[in-house]
Amino acid sequence: MRITASAKERTRERLLDAARQRFDAQGFSAANTRDIAKDAGLAAGTLFNYFPNKESLAMTVIGSELAAARETWRARRRPEDTLVEDLFSHVATGLRALQPHRAWVGEVLETGMSPFATGGANREGDAVRAAHLEGVHEILAAHGAAEPATGDAPSTALTAPGVVGMHLYWTLYLGVLAWWSGDPSEHQADTLVVLDRSLQLFVASLRGAKDTTPGVTDAASTESQTPSPTDRA
Amino acid sequence: MTRQDDMDTADTRTADVLAALPADLDRDAPRAPDLGSMLAHLAHRPVPVGRWHRFWILTTLQARIGAGYLAHWLRSGFADADAREASLNEARLSAALKLLGGMSYLRGAAMKAGQTLASWPDVVPQEVADILKVLHFEAPPMHFALLREHVHDELGGDPTELFAEFETEAFAAASLGQVHRARLHSGEQVAVKIQYPGISRSIHSDLENVQLLMQPMRLGKNWANLMAQLADIRAMLDLEMDYVNEAAMQRQARELVADVDGLVVPRVHERYSTRRVLTTDYVDGKHLDAWLADGPDAAERTRRGEHVLTSLFRMWYSGDLVYADPHPGNYLFMPDGRTALLDFGAVYRLDAEGVEYCLLADRGLAGDPEAQAELIARSTEVERADDLAPDHRRLIEDLCAWIWEPIHTGGPFDFSDPAYFRRGADLWGEVMRKRYTRSKPMNTWFNRNFYGARALMARMGATVDMGRIHAAEVARAGI
Repeated sequence: MRITASAKERTRERLLDAARQRFDAQGFSAANTRDIAKDAGLAAGTLFNYFPNKESLAMTVIGSELAAARETWRARRRPEDTLVEDLFSHVATGLRALQPHRAWVGEVLETGMSPFATGGANREGDAVRAAHLEGVHEILAAHGAAEPATGDAPSTALTAPGVVGMHLYWTLYLGVLAWWSGDPSEHQADTLVVLDRSLQLFVASLRGAKDTTPGVTDAASTESQTPSPTDRA
Repeated sequence: MTRQDDMDTADTRTADVLAALPADLDRDAPRAPDLGSMLAHLAHRPVPVGRWHRFWILTTLQARIGAGYLAHWLRSGFADADAREASLNEARLSAALKLLGGMSYLRGAAMKAGQTLASWPDVVPQEVADILKVLHFEAPPMHFALLREHVHDELGGDPTELFAEFETEAFAAASLGQVHRARLHSGEQVAVKIQYPGISRSIHSDLENVQLLMQPMRLGKNWANLMAQLADIRAMLDLEMDYVNEAAMQRQARELVADVDGLVVPRVHERYSTRRVLTTDYVDGKHLDAWLADGPDAAERTRRGEHVLTSLFRMWYSGDLVYADPHPGNYLFMPDGRTALLDFGAVYRLDAEGVEYCLLADRGLAGDPEAQAELIARSTEVERADDLAPDHRRLIEDLCAWIWEPIHTGGPFDFSDPAYFRRGADLWGEVMRKRYTRSKPMNTWFNRNFYGARALMARMGATVDMGRIHAAEVARAGI
C-alpha cells in the first residue's frame, strides 16, 4: 500500500506529539522509543522510518518549537528596537517556547548543538543552529552590521572576522542555554540577566571594543542597557 | 589566655589591619568636575548576577573602594576630632564618589544605603547628598526587551497586551527596580514597579561577600554586633524585595489614612501585582526638589509637613506599622494640594512585644522617670539602666530627648533649624565613635523612621506642631 505524503506528514506529527509528551512526563533519558511509537499508534520499528534515533526525534521537537517561536518574535519586533533588544527578544522568545520542556532540553541541546557534538542528532542540531543563525544574520542586517569587516583580514573563511564573530555568538548562546536549563531562580529570571550580558558582550565585540570582560569595561566600550541612537546605525 | 587578652589581641589585629591599609587610597578619587562623566559611566553598568562573579568584582575594584571607605571610618574612630575635621569634607566627597561607584554593582543594597545617607543633612555634606540624590530617580534602566520578558514571566502575559498602554521608557527608578506608566483596559492610569531580575539573589550574594571581606575583623569585640546588624539589613532588604508584602502594607496604610484630608496612598491593583511587580494607581505630583523650586510659602510647608507627620503617626498608633523609609523619594506633592505617600517596602509590623515597648516609650515621653529608665534598659538590652556606664546612659538619654524635642517643645517646631539637626548628628556620631551600638534590633526600624522623618521635615523647611498631631493620633488610637 502506498502511503501518501500527507499521511506520512500526519504520522510524523503524531510521533512528535507523542515524543513531546513522553519527554515532558518522563525526561529524555527515561523515555523510550517503543512507548513513543505505541502512544502514536505505531509499531515500535516504524518510528525509525521517520527518525533515526531518540536524539534526532528530540532535536526535531526542539527545532519545531523554535521555528514557531521565531514567528512570534517576528510578529513582536518593534522598529525602534536596538540591536541588543532585537537579539535579546530573538533568544528570549525561543526560551519561552522551550520553557515547558526545560527539564529535558538541556541534555539534548548539549549533545545536539555543541560544535563538538558526537551524538546522534547532528543533522537536526545543525538545522536548528542554521535556522537560529539565519535569524541572527537577519537582525544584524536590519541593524546594518551584517557585512563582515574584511579590510586587510586574510580571505580564508576560517579566519574571517564574521566567522569568528558568529562563533563567539554561538558559544555565548550555548552558554545561555546551559545556564537557563539549570537556572534555579524563579521564572529563570537570572537567565535574562545572563542573556543580556552575553549580548552586550557580543555587540561590543562587533564594535571592536578592546576589553569586554563584564564588570571591568568602560561604559564607552560596551553597549549600555539603555537604548542608544548609535545602536540603530 | 584570658578573655581580656583575647580582646586585646583582637584590637591589636584591628590596628594591624588599619596600619596595613594604604594611606592614600583617596588620592586618585575623581573630583567634582568629573561628576557628570562618572555618573554617565555608572548609568551604563548592568547588574551582575552570580556570587562568584560578584565576589571577583568585590575582591578587585570594590575591595579597594571598600577598604578606602572602611579605613577612613575606622581611622576616624581613633583620631581626635580636630585632626579629623581638617580633611573631612574632602574625604567625604571622595568616599561618596567611591561609594556611588560601588552602588551600580551593589545596586539594591547600596542604593538603600545611599538614599538613607542622602536624607541626613549635616551627617552627609550637601555636595555629597546632592550626588546621592541621583540614586532616587536616575538608576540605570532595564531595556524594554528585557523588561518585557520579565513582566511576561511575572504577570503571565506580554505587557503590551495585558495593558491598554504601556510606556516603554521608565518614568522613575526605584531602589530595586524601575517604574513604568501604563493604562489598564478599564481606563485607569497606573504605575507599574518592576524589580530588576536577579536582584534579590544579588543582594544575598553581596551580603555574604561583605561578610567574607569582614573576616579579618572577626575576633574584634564588635563582631557579634556587626553580624547582628548585617542580619537586620538582610531582613529589611528581604521585606523590601517582596512586593506581595509591600502590597499588603500599602493596602492597610490606604485604609488607615482614608479619612485624612490631603493624604493619598495609591490603590494596589492585585491582578497586575506579584512578588516582583507592583501595580498601583498613578499619582501625578512633584518630588521634593521640584516642589521646593516652586517656592512654597511657610503655610504650605507647614500643611505638607502635617501630612507627613500625620501619616507616620497614624500608621504607627492605629496600625502598628512603622514606616521606616520616610525619605524624599517616597513623597509626591500633588498639584491639588494633596500629598501622596509611596513605597511601602520598608514597613515594620509591630508584634505584641513591639507594641508594649512603644507604649513604654510613650510613658517615658510623657515624663514618667521609671518608664524612661526601663526604656533605656530595654533599648540597650541590659537588665537595668544603672548597668550602663554613666556616660553611655547619659548619651542614650540625650538621644531620646533629642528625638522627643519637637513634641516636648509644645507648639510649632521649626524642623529646619540647623542647630537641631546638628545636635542629633553629633549625638549619633558620639554613639558610633564610642561604640555604644548595642541595641534592640527593632530600634533600627524606629531610628530610620525618626531620623528619616526629621531629615525630610528639615529639607521641607517645615514648622509643625508635632505635639498636637502626636496627641491627636494617640487619642484616636485609644491609647
